[in-house]
Amino acid sequence: MKKKSLLWLFALVLILSAFLAACGGSDDASSESGSEGDGSSEGTAEGEPQKGGTLVYGLDAPPEGLFSSAFYGIATDAEVIDLFDEALISYNENLEPEPNVASWETEDNKVFNFKFEEGVKWHNGEELTVNDWVFALETIADPDYDGPRYANVQTIEGAEAYRSGDADSISGIEVVSDYEINITFDEARVNNLTNLWAYPLPESVLGDVPVAEMSASEWVRSTPIGIGPFKVDKIVPGESVEFSKFDEYWNGEVNLDKIVLRVIDNSSVVGALQNNDIDMISLQPVSGPEVEPLENVEIVTYPGLTYYYVGFKLGKFDNESQTITEELPKYQSKELRQAMMYALNRQEWVDAFFFGYADVVNKPVPSAHWNAADDSELIQYEYDPEKSKQMLDEAGYVDTNDDGFREDPNGDEFVVKFSHYATGNPTFESRAQQIAQYFEEVGLRSEVEMVEVNLYYDMVEKDDASIETFFGGWGTGTDPDPSGLWKADQLWNYPRYNNPEADQLLDDALDIEIVGTDQEKRKELYVEWQKIVNEELPMLYIAELEEIKALNTRVGGVEYDVSGQNSPAEWFVTE
Amino acid sequence: MLKYSIRRLLGMIPMLILISIVVFSLAKLMPGDSLSGEIDPLNTSPEYIAEMREKLGYNDPLPVQYFNWITGFMQGDFGKSTRFQIPVFDLIMEKVPNTLLLGVTALVITYIMAFIMGMYSGRRPYTLGDNAIAGFNYVMLAIPSFVAAVFAIYIFAFQLNWFPFAGSVDILVEEGSFEYYVSRMHHVLLPAIVLGAMSTASYTQFLRNDIIENSRKDFVRTARAKGTPIKKIYNVHILRNSIIPLVTFLGFDFAALIGGAIITETIFTYPGIGQLFLESVTSRDYPTLMALTMLLSFLTLFGNLLADILYGVVDPRIRLD
Repeated sequence: MKKKSLLWLFALVLILSAFLAACGGSDDASSESGSEGDGSSEGTAEGEPQKGGTLVYGLDAPPEGLFSSAFYGIATDAEVIDLFDEALISYNENLEPEPNVASWETEDNKVFNFKFEEGVKWHNGEELTVNDWVFALETIADPDYDGPRYANVQTIEGAEAYRSGDADSISGIEVVSDYEINITFDEARVNNLTNLWAYPLPESVLGDVPVAEMSASEWVRSTPIGIGPFKVDKIVPGESVEFSKFDEYWNGEVNLDKIVLRVIDNSSVVGALQNNDIDMISLQPVSGPEVEPLENVEIVTYPGLTYYYVGFKLGKFDNESQTITEELPKYQSKELRQAMMYALNRQEWVDAFFFGYADVVNKPVPSAHWNAADDSELIQYEYDPEKSKQMLDEAGYVDTNDDGFREDPNGDEFVVKFSHYATGNPTFESRAQQIAQYFEEVGLRSEVEMVEVNLYYDMVEKDDASIETFFGGWGTGTDPDPSGLWKADQLWNYPRYNNPEADQLLDDALDIEIVGTDQEKRKELYVEWQKIVNEELPMLYIAELEEIKALNTRVGGVEYDVSGQNSPAEWFVTE
Repeated sequence: MLKYSIRRLLGMIPMLILISIVVFSLAKLMPGDSLSGEIDPLNTSPEYIAEMREKLGYNDPLPVQYFNWITGFMQGDFGKSTRFQIPVFDLIMEKVPNTLLLGVTALVITYIMAFIMGMYSGRRPYTLGDNAIAGFNYVMLAIPSFVAAVFAIYIFAFQLNWFPFAGSVDILVEEGSFEYYVSRMHHVLLPAIVLGAMSTASYTQFLRNDIIENSRKDFVRTARAKGTPIKKIYNVHILRNSIIPLVTFLGFDFAALIGGAIITETIFTYPGIGQLFLESVTSRDYPTLMALTMLLSFLTLFGNLLADILYGVVDPRIRLD
């Protein structure tokens, strides 16, 4: 059955391309293709917002149905939740926190005082108070809680004790009044606020439900409520959701009367857009070129927070002691890694496999983050095969036995073993082959191994001996701190990069004693760190992705920036 | 007959135990589990993953895991879906009505088409019409259903606007109203036609061959000699005999009805068992995957039994004991 689904996927993509070519051909390629995403991008309809109307929102994968901020697991569910709920704190285009329902004050980054807006209503008519937030935090810290959010509550003082059952409440939470609350963290950190869980849960409906049963309850599955501009009217599991305007929304007027969310298969996305069956949807890069010629649809792109890389296994990690226990010799030469970077024609690769919806990068911090280093401060690694060859020669990687490929400095055969995950997407193998091809062009013999995706990540995580260089990707969040993916004591530092100096910089950037609350000072430290990893290249940075949205021209008021979409309250449609 | 049925049912027990072992081992042999795959560093932490593995019992020895699973299964507890976080039983029951509607509609379409084409072919074998029907049937059989589905959506939904392109119902109509049922039929028709019209080949050819065979039998010659109208001979005497073998198909269709159409349902975003099955494979949702496989295995066995019993019912010459 596994094979069947793979076959199906493969064939579907083939068919899809034929189908797309067929329906794309009938249109003149005359419309403009989207505004380029620097900073923020706006929706397409001109003029004043109009009242009323229904917007059809497309999703290309079915949601799992966990429609609660505290319990959802996948991005598809989060997209649905964003339409009817909002966080207490929002983020601006620089990913800095801004007050939404809650505003805050702190003097030492350890104790925070939050004040809530008054008169914010849940969809069931109850008023939002700080108790709903306390309820959310205690739910997540409950030992029976089965969602993945505990890391966002853990840092509150007393959360551990509450979770292990030693305390009846979280000692760091102090309710002052219905609209005011103090939260104390276990220590002062610069990112305490961005890490904190900032969604309330409606105590009025979930209060009597045992925590273990919450995620399966109807309040999460079929009648979820939030505090956003739209409320859920009806859910047809796995295929559609109907939202209508919430008249008592706290933050201004809502333009649309209704939003209808529809799940559609990837193979139908282009046709549905062309036929005005859906008004907005996220696109896969592969659909972009087919949607661009459509006259009734515009493509909007904005910077994403995902980057792709080719990693080197530089060591082995022991998860028990959380240390890197062994150093693997094969790729320890920095000159070798740099030469391999110069060998890659990353621009050509990105254009071929991401259709232009991605940018070449030289650092592991998405450019949209405030702490990203400027390109002028980093080595750019422009495609330069000659330089690559020269560097390899100098580092001792020369062809000693005239087989056309280089040997290592000891004169032994040198083969770059490159692993990539396989999911049934036929482009994965060709993109992996292309990377191997670049290495071969500078004289490094290369082998590609495609591994089934789940097994692949298992092998990468466990430092399996057959993984030497590997393809991977990371998405980073609103908190720009890369520690969790880079420090030597982290499981997800897959290259097993071990540089105490770099780790120290990351620690310093979070140390309130050193940086205080000065963002510029933090940035300096992060830039310093990026210079190190840019030069040392424990992984070859390839590209960061853009997010792509398709909007029907009748839709207006939609804005995107790196933090996501603006409030759906501002969206409108023209007839 | 009763004795026969009971004997067969008892015989299914060791078979099901064997199947359960195979299903369980295959599921566990799949690399990774519901917690592996692409990690989103925002939403989770290595500690959480390790903790969940422990909680879900993935660290127990395999025989213990099997025993826990099969004990629950025997008591009707199919476990909790790791992906949807609700009991698998509820999940399946949520999808079954959609799948049944699609399956029955498709089957009706298949039967009607096969019946008409089979009767025509059987009556006029080796004519142009017969060959055309055979050609049509085999072409349909050869076209993969996902190709047909994508083209059907493109032509009938996007170009002609006759049918909706996805979903099982229009969410804007009120549940339970007359429009609601019309909308459901409207949504199910296109996938049902794709499914139904594609699988007529076996029924048609079976019926055709049987009619040809029967038309050479003695009782037909007798009827002709008596001067019975040809039409009546075909529509009454021959047909009644030729339908009997078709009844056995019904048993096999039984499992297919619940099993759903994995590919077609997914392309039409029609939330049924087939789509659930595919999703549970890709997301390593073992409890759902194993429950569905067991369910389908059981239904196949049960369908076979049903076919054998039906055979005995419609054809008194066959005795079951």
